Amino acid sequence: MNLLGKSLTQLQSLLKSKEVTPSELTSYFTERSKRYNKDLNAYLTFADKEVSSSRGELAGIPLSIKDNFCTKGVKTTAASKVLENFIPPYDATVVTNLKNAGVSFFGKTNMDAWAHGSSTETSDFGPAKNPWSIERTPGGSSGGSASAVSAYLSPASIGSETAGSIRQPASWCGVIGLKPSYGRVSRYGVVAMGSSLDCPGPITSTVEDAALLLKIIAGKDKYDATTADIPVVDYQSFLQKKNTYTIGITDEYFVGVNNEVKQKVMESISVFERIGHKVKKIKLMAPKYAVSVYTIIQRAEVSSNLGRYTGIRFGKDRSFFGGEAKKRIMLGTYSLSHGYYDAYYKTAQKVRTLIIEDFKRVFNEVDVILSPTTPGTALRLGEFAKYPFFGEVMDILNEPAAVAGIPAISVPCGLDSQGLPVGLQIMGKYFDEKSVLNLAYQFEKETNFFDVIKNGFQNYH
Amino acid sequence: MTIYKPVIGLEIHVELSTKSKMFCQCNADYFGKAPNSNTCPVCLGMPGGLPVPNKKAIEWTVLIGKALNCSINKLSKFDRKHYFYPDLPKGYQISQYDEPIAVNGYLSIKTKGREKKFRVHRVHLEEDTGKLMHSGEDTLIDYNRSSVPLVEIVTEPDFDSAEDVKQFLEELHTIITYLGVSDANMEKGSMRLEPNISVKEVTMEGLPNYKVEVKNINSFNFVKRAIDYEVKRHIDLLEKGQTPPQETRGFNDAKMITYSQRTKENAQDYRYFPEPDIPPLELSDQYLIEIENRLPEMPAEKIKRYEENFGLKYQDAFLITREKGVADYYENVINEMKSNTIVNRDELPQKLANFVINKKVDVNLPFKEFASKAEELLKPKQTDLLLLNKIIEKVISANSKVVYDYKSGKQNAVMFLVGQVMKEMKGQADANTVKEELLKRLL
Amino acid sequence: MKKTVNLSKEDILHLAQLANLKLSEKEVITFQKQLTETLDYVENLNELNIKDITPTNYSTDIKNCTFDDGTVCERMFSQEEALENTNEKKNSYFVVKRIM
Ligand SMILES: [Mg+2]
Ligand SMILES: [Zn+2]
Repeated sequence: MNLLGKSLTQLQSLLKSKEVTPSELTSYFTERSKRYNKDLNAYLTFADKEVSSSRGELAGIPLSIKDNFCTKGVKTTAASKVLENFIPPYDATVVTNLKNAGVSFFGKTNMDAWAHGSSTETSDFGPAKNPWSIERTPGGSSGGSASAVSAYLSPASIGSETAGSIRQPASWCGVIGLKPSYGRVSRYGVVAMGSSLDCPGPITSTVEDAALLLKIIAGKDKYDATTADIPVVDYQSFLQKKNTYTIGITDEYFVGVNNEVKQKVMESISVFERIGHKVKKIKLMAPKYAVSVYTIIQRAEVSSNLGRYTGIRFGKDRSFFGGEAKKRIMLGTYSLSHGYYDAYYKTAQKVRTLIIEDFKRVFNEVDVILSPTTPGTALRLGEFAKYPFFGEVMDILNEPAAVAGIPAISVPCGLDSQGLPVGLQIMGKYFDEKSVLNLAYQFEKETNFFDVIKNGFQNYH
Repeated sequence: MTIYKPVIGLEIHVELSTKSKMFCQCNADYFGKAPNSNTCPVCLGMPGGLPVPNKKAIEWTVLIGKALNCSINKLSKFDRKHYFYPDLPKGYQISQYDEPIAVNGYLSIKTKGREKKFRVHRVHLEEDTGKLMHSGEDTLIDYNRSSVPLVEIVTEPDFDSAEDVKQFLEELHTIITYLGVSDANMEKGSMRLEPNISVKEVTMEGLPNYKVEVKNINSFNFVKRAIDYEVKRHIDLLEKGQTPPQETRGFNDAKMITYSQRTKENAQDYRYFPEPDIPPLELSDQYLIEIENRLPEMPAEKIKRYEENFGLKYQDAFLITREKGVADYYENVINEMKSNTIVNRDELPQKLANFVINKKVDVNLPFKEFASKAEELLKPKQTDLLLLNKIIEKVISANSKVVYDYKSGKQNAVMFLVGQVMKEMKGQADANTVKEELLKRLL
Repeated sequence: MKKTVNLSKEDILHLAQLANLKLSEKEVITFQKQLTETLDYVENLNELNIKDITPTNYSTDIKNCTFDDGTVCERMFSQEEALENTNEKKNSYFVVKRIM
């Protein structure tokens, strides 16, 4: 049977009707992944002995997961030499939840080392490549996951965001990436980057798959005090609702965006109008402030979170940190050091308040906010260094939602003239993943994402 | 000659005796366990480990704060305190920085009949580190203790004598044991003491411009020795016109001296920031009232009550209240005996106090048994009058000089005779009866 | 108006010491430049009026999240698990070169 491009929900039915067996599925994806990994370097580790459970909603489904999730007995490196030989004695909660639902994890995906970056080029094990053009980066930091889903090496994948690390690679690889609200999904067992920002989420080829995976990984976790005790919605059933939404758009999120991207996003906005949604112009704070807030807070938290890597209990010593990690540790150390805390960290946390309030104000007028996911399409490998501020501006449109902790999704909305995918971002109210998913689903039903995902798979048939 | 005055403040770490650790469910009782056999992703500082605070540890910190007359911050939070040391797995200790659980309290002690009040600056909650052992070329690390709850109590620099410090610490120790929140075992290191010391000219206003911290002392006597040593050292330097350098020192308990560990130049910059993994604490009025209601009667209050209601002497009341178990026992015995004793009720508390203090009766007995033994010891003796009168005759004839003295007006002489008779009676006589009979005979 | 923060070599070395990192000559110079560039960028926050604004220290509204003392530990490591990711061990202790 030709399995190419089958979504999770389709695989579920095939498994149910016994048209395919769990072991067939696992070998299908493992073999594809191993075959194309020479080109894409999307995986760091294959977990050959993993078996799926016969019970649970996702029984028999093999998935890949970013290499910053602890997987018991399977090497977890966060793409850093420091953890080159680290084998966690425990599972992250997200991993536990998915295993309990019947998932087996056959591979750990490549990423920027410690999730520091937007290109997967800071990986100590070589950059992942973009399936749409292997001279290009898949984005990052969850670049391996996005690359794997885009080339159908994995039916879906679990990534993580601090600010843009799911949405931006999903956008550049032409797939779907969902960043849930902060506190919706447990961070327990995820190698910490920016603790007040980190957020696991799915990368998928259909909106329904994203809804399905979110339902399984979301919820209160007794091991993560920042997870909210808010009931998990059946996001999947909610997709069927024919809700109409008031969609906000703001000029601030089109500043510095290239024309082709702008055009694709504007076309998508007219699609939403056509299918009955109301579009409203709004004003939001310029995203550049979120970049500064994010930069200060994230570096501070990084400098703290990487303190545990001393080579005593696990991993190698601190001389094995790469340049990017050291740079971030240094800046974070500076901003927290005596006499600078108020000027940097505290100021950033105050502006964070302004950004949150800004969103709250706007969400009184609109249900969701639409924007491009990224200012441009996938860069060539090595090109990041040419951009000011180390290319960090590639995440500029993702950072406000990250700083405010609100949910956001990136879905494909066409190709640019170079044939590279363009991403559309939908941001929602805090804990309103269901509306974000519902609207993305309506867009999918209407456009099939202009066949971007489907055509992506064909490159790796 | 210049007169100097020591200025001393205290930092006290108390390990709580909760069942679980501070931020994970591992056993807080790490004592005697095989090395590194009591850890989990959180307390071992594994990648991805996240802290969730122990509810009881927070309650107990509030309780300690209340016992030390502090005001409790209704809003409180945890912060990360950064430094690198092999016993600290995460590269930071989760502690409390600018919003500790309790602030601005005091504790009074009574010395030489005078009450002295020492201010408590703050009481906060944090986690303990692992344990280091130095052997040969190696430093060995055991993380079993990592993340055990630790309460830090910081006083104002209100002390000017090592003696007061010692007494304060003993009182604090008693209070902690009253609260039942720590085994407060000094040998096991459940209570660790850090005096900070400086010396100024007695006429000087305010605080000296330096202080020396002596780290991790685990006995009240050693604290006293460390302070005495430091004060003398500072005075010697000041006399030479030098200011003692601000530094952290250790205490060598074999030599009873302190030694320099870290000077101001390489002082730590802890880079505190709010712990993002732990949502803040918001303590409601109702919660605070509930905890306040759990506060047992404090030893100082007990002393006062014993003085007022029982007529005990301060020193006796003090001794009886050093252990809550003993004080409770004492009161139980009194209650048991009050209803049906033939002993004079007003005298009972003091007499029982003497028994308890002098261990005349074993306080390990069930208190009812103690009560009946005490009753036996206290009740008026049955006196064999026949024998008594024989012995009185004997004593009178053997002490004619004393009898003569008595008869010529020395009233006190009779007490000597009573004593002699009691001795001959081998205690099997009631002293009052003996006196009465003697006086009759001597008429 | 942008104010440029100038970090000296000594500043970089002091930060490296706090962060427990050993930097090469080259890294010191690189970080001097990169840190300055980053600090310049974040200066834009000074354009905003943040007087009387409460800092957002937490990303959620959650308060008082705790666990009950004595809850059974379901994730305790065996001694072997605790030590299996290191070579720096001796008699079931982790070990470092003697520090005092
Ligand atoms: Mg402390
Ligand atoms: Zn633990």
